[in-house]
Amino acid sequence: MRKMKMLTMVVSLLVITSMLAACGGNNSGTAEKDSNKGADTSTIKLVMWGGVPPESGPQEVVDNWNAANADIQVEYVRYVNDDDGNLKLDTALLTGQSIDLYVSYTMSNIQKRVDAGVALDLTSRLGEYNIDEKMGPDAKLWQLDGTYYGMPTKKNASFVALNQNALEKANLKIPKEWTWDEYKEYAKILNQDFDYGLVQSTVSFMDPLDSVLENIGYTKADGSSNMDNEYTVKWLEISNEMMTVDKSTPTLGEQLTSKMPVENMFLGGEAAMLSIGEWLIRSSNNLDEYPRDFKIAFAPIPRLLENSEDFITSGGLGDFISVNAKSKNQDAAWKFLQWYADGGMAPMAAGGRLPSSKDMDASVALDNLLGDKANTYDVDSLKYVLFEDTTPTFVRNLAQEVIDLRTQEYEKYFLGGQNAQDAAANMAKHHNKFINK
Amino acid sequence: MIITIQERWGMMMNKNWMRRQQRLGYLFIGPNMLGVLLFFIIPAFYSLYLVFTDYQFMKPDKNFVGLANIERLLHDELFYTAMLNTVIFLLAVPISIGLAFVVATVLNQSVYFKKLLRGLYFLPYITSGVAIAFVWMLLFQPNQGPINGFLRSIGIANPPGWLSTIETSMFAIDIIWVWFMLGYNMIIYLAALQEISSELLEAARIDGANRWQTIRKIIFPLVSPTTFLLLITGLIMTVKTFGIIQAITQGGPGNSTTILSLFVYQHAFRYYDMSYAATISWALFIFILVITMIQWWGQKRWVHY
Repeated sequence: MRKMKMLTMVVSLLVITSMLAACGGNNSGTAEKDSNKGADTSTIKLVMWGGVPPESGPQEVVDNWNAANADIQVEYVRYVNDDDGNLKLDTALLTGQSIDLYVSYTMSNIQKRVDAGVALDLTSRLGEYNIDEKMGPDAKLWQLDGTYYGMPTKKNASFVALNQNALEKANLKIPKEWTWDEYKEYAKILNQDFDYGLVQSTVSFMDPLDSVLENIGYTKADGSSNMDNEYTVKWLEISNEMMTVDKSTPTLGEQLTSKMPVENMFLGGEAAMLSIGEWLIRSSNNLDEYPRDFKIAFAPIPRLLENSEDFITSGGLGDFISVNAKSKNQDAAWKFLQWYADGGMAPMAAGGRLPSSKDMDASVALDNLLGDKANTYDVDSLKYVLFEDTTPTFVRNLAQEVIDLRTQEYEKYFLGGQNAQDAAANMAKHHNKFINK
Repeated sequence: MIITIQERWGMMMNKNWMRRQQRLGYLFIGPNMLGVLLFFIIPAFYSLYLVFTDYQFMKPDKNFVGLANIERLLHDELFYTAMLNTVIFLLAVPISIGLAFVVATVLNQSVYFKKLLRGLYFLPYITSGVAIAFVWMLLFQPNQGPINGFLRSIGIANPPGWLSTIETSMFAIDIIWVWFMLGYNMIIYLAALQEISSELLEAARIDGANRWQTIRKIIFPLVSPTTFLLLITGLIMTVKTFGIIQAITQGGPGNSTTILSLFVYQHAFRYYDMSYAATISWALFIFILVITMIQWWGQKRWVHY
């Protein structure tokens, strides 16, 4: 009897301990395996996390590197660049899973990763690779407190894609600079032959607000929010007129609830203009899935401010890649990162990603970008938008919470819940609360 | 070997045996309790501790801030908006239960295709949330959607914008939720209805009760414990729900569908503001507790066991 009891105790204890061990077992197991492999063949294994699907370039990049560098093998892991995906990456970084390199897409995400101490300070390594010199003055926008905790590798581009055939038919020029009033006029004219004169990607929808704030400052001299400036009201009202009076662009409510596929609408000939960024190329190059019978021309983003000299447009650089400060293979990761930035990333161009390094020749980059589809674009205007336009650019650096609160206020306005003045005042009110928190 | 009742009683009263049984009992629930302790009770108390700190995920330092989070919550307009939205969302529960009672009563009688209809009503409950979200988004589409198409065809010139306007979005979500919960509520009601002894119904008929009287005076009181169960579990489940709203509107347009649970999610996993999220969670807990206590107190008046 006594023996039986002991046995049950032992067995159940074993069950409990094995259950607990299973929780933590996963990591230590793989880590052990990895280090064993490293010792055997003396190759370094790097893991890189990024938000681009492997088939849109990263896999080819990594394969190219692995073929040329037997001693450093890189594995690419895709995370989805949304709240859940970033949470996954952050948790993995904090719990010390083996990630050596990772790509961040917004300043607020980088700030968090720097706070957590998982982004390597590259200052001491700039002697080997001068980021400022290679990437140009826009790279500075990605510094935190004057320090590089990674480097931007891609050229961002925001532009208005135009249906060139429609433009010619309506006798409209491809603009090289324009105001929102002209923009509205274009949309109204083009609206006659299309469902919509203009559709806008929700990704860059709010850029006009930041474009103005970058120029006049996010805060006033007394430190309070500047979001209630006159241009906020102007943008709200002019957009609203386009939605409800001209009906040249879909109302925001409809766009949001139907999760409107703006690329399909533009490429399918339902909309004449599309405000978007370089990722359009991924779809517009794919003529099988998105067949079209028109050429695409490109115009810069229009401005709200009167003077073109005051204009700062969204753009700059992107795809900010950091080395994990907890990585054991920082040197190898840094070596890979330099190679990646200096042209290793070329296969990513097919997905719309242009390298920002000056070592990359513009015409080669353009060839990579358009491939054999170049004749379906107005290449001159694309060149202008990507390389020749000298308008200074910004990268939005605003806390996610402020962005969300601002979004809520303009949504309320566009859906008729409040007037433009109140919307602007509420944006400033939320912003002030956040500043004083 | 035959053990008489007396002998068995004697064994059970044997203190030693009792103690052994008890110990074995703890052993059996041990693994489960360990899980509850590790993954539920300790985190719950930890979150209470977080209420009084300024912990942000990805920030290493954590300071004691006293009641600052609670003060912030009480001054947060969005919290009250979220609370109001939650209350509107909860309206779906009694409506769904009422409809389920009607449907179950009908399906409990001789109707053609009874089994098929039961299956059809239950179908939403076992359908993936994302699929539900997409189908309803299409149905509610303000211009091309079939619902508004139908409304226009019967002469309503300006049908509601459903999910696309601030005033109607929460009610549109309510409609989806009523539809979603209906099947489950109906199945539970059907089980309760079949429990009702036919003698009672026959007796009522002989006494000359009409259908309405039978339902009101006999069936309804007899299923009242079921109604109570559905109400409590339904409200708790609904307060906790956020997946379907996250999939359909992400709390928009504006903040018109941000309910408390979604508000918690946004602060925790979008802004990484864990302490504030913990504070809202505890407010949410108190909210559910109060609702449940009111019902518990109110049941004396209408629930017959």
